[in-house]
Amino acid sequence: MSEVIVITSGKGGVGKTTTTANVGTGLAQMNKKVVLIDTDIGLRNLDVVMGLENRIVYNLVDVIEGNCRMKQALIKDKRYPNLYLLPSAQTRDKTAVTPEQMMKLTDELREEFDYILLDCPAGIEQGFKNAIAGADRAIVVTTPEVSAIRDADRIIGLLEANEIKQIHLVVNRLRMDMVSRGDMMSIDDVTEILAIDLIGAVPDDEQIVISTNQGEPLVGRMDTLAGRAYSNICRRVLGEEVPFLDLAVKSSVWSKLANLFKKN
Amino acid sequence: MAQTVILKSNRYGINLILDDQVGFDKLLTDIIAKFQEADSFFKGAKMALSFEGRRLTQEEEMRIVNAITSHSSVSIVCIVDNDQLREQMIKEVIENQEEEAAVKTGQFYKGTLRSGQVLECETSIVILGDVNPGAKIVSRGNIVVLGGLKGNAYAGAGGNPGAFVAALDMDPVQIKIGDVIGRSADKAFWPKGKKKKKTEPVVEPQVAIVKDNNIYIEPITKGLLNNL
Repeated sequence: MSEVIVITSGKGGVGKTTTTANVGTGLAQMNKKVVLIDTDIGLRNLDVVMGLENRIVYNLVDVIEGNCRMKQALIKDKRYPNLYLLPSAQTRDKTAVTPEQMMKLTDELREEFDYILLDCPAGIEQGFKNAIAGADRAIVVTTPEVSAIRDADRIIGLLEANEIKQIHLVVNRLRMDMVSRGDMMSIDDVTEILAIDLIGAVPDDEQIVISTNQGEPLVGRMDTLAGRAYSNICRRVLGEEVPFLDLAVKSSVWSKLANLFKKN
Repeated sequence: MAQTVILKSNRYGINLILDDQVGFDKLLTDIIAKFQEADSFFKGAKMALSFEGRRLTQEEEMRIVNAITSHSSVSIVCIVDNDQLREQMIKEVIENQEEEAAVKTGQFYKGTLRSGQVLECETSIVILGDVNPGAKIVSRGNIVVLGGLKGNAYAGAGGNPGAFVAALDMDPVQIKIGDVIGRSADKAFWPKGKKKKKTEPVVEPQVAIVKDNNIYIEPITKGLLNNL
């Protein structure tokens, strides 16, 4: 049975696209047939993060307007043969598509894929309405900042109003050193405000920036904390119970040593 | 000679302003004359009729309606009661009852109110959940939040300053009771307090009321509850 998952946040720049790329790639690593849809018409970048920009010929709007067949627009990933990307159009805007058309599109993809991930644009306007139209469940991404949490709260309210019952939370860009100093909200603080189930916590990791720039999702790289965190999220999406990573592990060994040297 | 009948159009149709000095039969012929005069203007219009300036019995009202319909092409859909005094009186009675009912009766709402969501209620309301920042509850009666109140609350929305807002964790952005508004002190949303302690911070239930045209937030005590 296939599932349509929308990845959304309300606020921009909290890591929706990165999360979509990593969760999608991770699910593909677990031998699921996955398609990623970039619904951010006019501001496409999931293709860049996936390193597939140079392969785009047709896009989402072309499929919806009937300029091409679905098969022609789907881009096969360069690493995993069971992972596909449906890129967004860059020369159009959100009004080029309606929620009804999106629903039809996702229903068509259900027949062939196990997981359909929708990368939602920031905001709550047309683009958001398009992205959530065909979704069965949602992953809300937030950072431990007041502004992102406020927007996430609004988004959860809108998702609930649109009858999307299964809503999970990813807390992104956690800095455990700041949390332990009391300068940043902890995971518990965030989940207490938003009152939905946590599906993953991803530490702030410079490896993410590197992997994004290289167009190589980090998921599955067990030498990085963020890579492991994303792998765990994928397993939880599949319904496995996975204990949460101790994100403080890294700082406790190395930074303590480094701090020792600094003091001396 | 002063006119005994004046036709005035309103939202629904025609308002008849009648002289209350002349005899009814004279009035009736004047009304007929008026409508015959204006018949080409009305051209079979359907309208509601209302009377002003003279107290009419039901029978008199019927006679006027019959006279109009038989002497012109106008059709009368209904008669609208336009007695302003009576309207005012009814309004007051209803509003008073509503006010009383608002405070005495209540409803429950289960769930978290999230940013952007507004809950409006004609009676008092009990929220089983949190009210997050950016959310708003409006009630004509009292508001009780069995959870955290971190958004906006407006009790006594009909203008009743005797209403109250109570919450287990009182941390609102704004509270309005009747016509009095209070806002939270300027503080950072995070961190709460100076430094986060390991132990759970003690939160006590509090209630907001109006005193001397200001909003006061106080711990809920038995004495206070008796005075509400």
